[in-house]
Amino acid sequence: MSRVSVVIPVKDGERWLPELLAALAREAPDEVLAIDSGSRDGSVELLRAAPGVTLLEIPPAEFGHGRTRNLGAERASGEIVAFLTQDATPLPGWLAALRAGFALDERVGAVFGPHLPRLDTSPMVARELERHFAGFAGPGGGPSLHGAGDEPFLSNVNAAYRRDCWEQLRFRDVPYSEDQAFGRDLLAAGWLKAYVPQMAVLHAHDYGPLEFMRRYFDEYRGLRATAGHVEAFRPLGALRTVRAETAADLRWMRERGMPAGARARWAARATVHHGGRRVFSALGSRAERLPAPVRGRLSLEGRGDGGGSSASVPPATPMTPRRTEDPYGAATRVMRDGPAPLLPPAPGLAERERLRIALVLPPWRRGSGGHNTLMQLLSRLERRGHVCTVWLHDPHGELRAARPAVLRRQLDEWFAPFAGPVYVGFEDWHGADVAVATGWQTVHPLLLLDQTHARAYLVNDHEPEFFGTSTERALAQDTYRHGIHCVAASPWLRDLMTDRYGAPADAFQLGVDHAVYAPRADVARRADTVVYYARHSTDRRAVPIGLMALGELHRRRPQTRVVLFGTDRPPPTTFPYDHLGVLSPPQLAALYAEATVGLCLSLTNFSLMPKEMLACGLPCVELAGVSAESIFGSDGGPLALAPLDPVALADALERLLDDRAEWERRSRTGIEFVASHTWDVATDEVEAGLRHALAQP
Amino acid sequence: MAATGTERDAELERLRTRVAELEAELVEQAARTERIVAAAQQRTYWLDRWHLDLDALMRRRAVGAPLDTAFRALRKLRHGVQRARRRLSGS
Repeated sequence: MSRVSVVIPVKDGERWLPELLAALAREAPDEVLAIDSGSRDGSVELLRAAPGVTLLEIPPAEFGHGRTRNLGAERASGEIVAFLTQDATPLPGWLAALRAGFALDERVGAVFGPHLPRLDTSPMVARELERHFAGFAGPGGGPSLHGAGDEPFLSNVNAAYRRDCWEQLRFRDVPYSEDQAFGRDLLAAGWLKAYVPQMAVLHAHDYGPLEFMRRYFDEYRGLRATAGHVEAFRPLGALRTVRAETAADLRWMRERGMPAGARARWAARATVHHGGRRVFSALGSRAERLPAPVRGRLSLEGRGDGGGSSASVPPATPMTPRRTEDPYGAATRVMRDGPAPLLPPAPGLAERERLRIALVLPPWRRGSGGHNTLMQLLSRLERRGHVCTVWLHDPHGELRAARPAVLRRQLDEWFAPFAGPVYVGFEDWHGADVAVATGWQTVHPLLLLDQTHARAYLVNDHEPEFFGTSTERALAQDTYRHGIHCVAASPWLRDLMTDRYGAPADAFQLGVDHAVYAPRADVARRADTVVYYARHSTDRRAVPIGLMALGELHRRRPQTRVVLFGTDRPPPTTFPYDHLGVLSPPQLAALYAEATVGLCLSLTNFSLMPKEMLACGLPCVELAGVSAESIFGSDGGPLALAPLDPVALADALERLLDDRAEWERRSRTGIEFVASHTWDVATDEVEAGLRHALAQP
Repeated sequence: MAATGTERDAELERLRTRVAELEAELVEQAARTERIVAAAQQRTYWLDRWHLDLDALMRRRAVGAPLDTAFRALRKLRHGVQRARRRLSGS
């Protein structure tokens, strides 16, 4: 059986010590150690005379609730060290219950028991003690075990510790609430604590109303210091609480048969008690804001030190982890451990007819242009016999409400036919011939995937440019530096990958769905309508410049009809316009068929939309000097290019509105130019890129 | 006896052919597996859309057993009606 030592810190404890020592003599622990810190009453003499009690005397200045208990545990010899306060009297069976608590589980690091009121304890305190400890009891009012996530409450009025646990954690050297801090540390370290109702002591601090308030001040000051707890205070809420608590006290007294006269007397006292508690607990947890003399007056212990002067570190709030993984945790793992090794090259794999292609996608929304491109390609790769799968990487949980079957149907219905499966996350990862990243967020997780022969990166745009100076920008840049074979959505983007980042790269041309986007004989073209893709939520679309250009055009030609689309929220402008919101592909095709000139700007990679406008015979104005020249030639071919300047853009729009011959020429050459830009051709180019990735040494 | 160059080339060629065959088998097996997963996702679309876990639902005694009994009874009734119609139509 484990040896049990009892440690009792003492200071002027003459009032209850005889009762406590008599109870301990009855319970007969293996050792009793009392630590006196400067008693001026007869405590020292009582302890010296008590048989079987070892007395240790320390100067008052050396006392600390945590420090002194650590000293006691160091000096004691038991495998179990119990702490009692000088005014706590164990009831019969206390020691046996204590031992029974540790026998519940070998992981139990601490056992505590209830504090029962003495006969003269006020009803408010008695009820509070009863309610407080009843909450810890197990089924049927028996013992209970508490682990991680449970209430960390512990009270050194009546608690015992397994020496191994104490040695691992020790009490913090804090002014108050060292037991509460130990409770939290104990659960965090994986130990259990046990509550044993039979391990009871008589203990209640019954003070006068003002003393009670000052004690609450100290208690909540301690809670702030150890746990960062700040007690909320709302006057109306406090009034409601006081009323409810007083009513509960009166009910409790009635249930115990207290006479009406006594109940009435206690009612007034209870109101003061609960009201004072609300105010002083709020003040205590904000003690550092009060001047030192005020703190000293409010504290029952007369402590004027703030533990929070302007020169000291304020109390910290302990925070528990709320995530199992950082959103960009894969980047950390790649930087720490490097990419997962690739499978050894298999001869002839790059030329094999059917490949296993795993596409890793970031979350999507209906109408997402990038996902449309990716799924148009994947759909066609699948039709060519490749075994295609989609893997959703969604670290921010944007699509967490949707399950795989629903996600699969979304891809199929919103973007392009897809017959393969969709996986969420990589728990079921089972390898591929080539794993394909499709956005900067997907690259680091992709680098951690094993059982794959090659990695490729379908680069839709130069994504670092989507961000200001930021973590995202830096991580996006990093994705091009891992040697993954890039298949970029324009020659401009391919050259950027190779020239700036040294990445191996191929290019593909975005395709046009000519079944949807084609000249329409059944739609009459208007003579003076400009349509503008004004998706102002996407910064790279340079919408403010576009709106300035249209404002300038309106100043010159107030009769010109302006139509904005591509966003649900109509942007504020200086000119009148018609707003169409987000349109489906057939609706877009109809719009392009009836409009006179299109305006679509991109500050980064050339997008699909101008090609779709051209396919419908709609001449289009785009920005010069960015990426369009890599597709249409230095003069823009069918596209009217203009610098990033509202006046120049307005000039280009006006020329197309005024010059019929120029309009005819650009409309015709646009249709001719994009005729060869199909998704089948794009798929040829992407497939070749994937095979290059497989052939890469 | 050491293998001649021709024998070694032939062996290499045989091994390459075998690797290609195994690779093709692997792709075929992967294709079948992915088809099965996709088909299962196709079938469970509405359950997933409505966040319905039929297995968990049927394991609840208060719901599962009565529902199961009701469905069995309905199926029996349907078969009975079909049998009766076949008899009446003489088919």
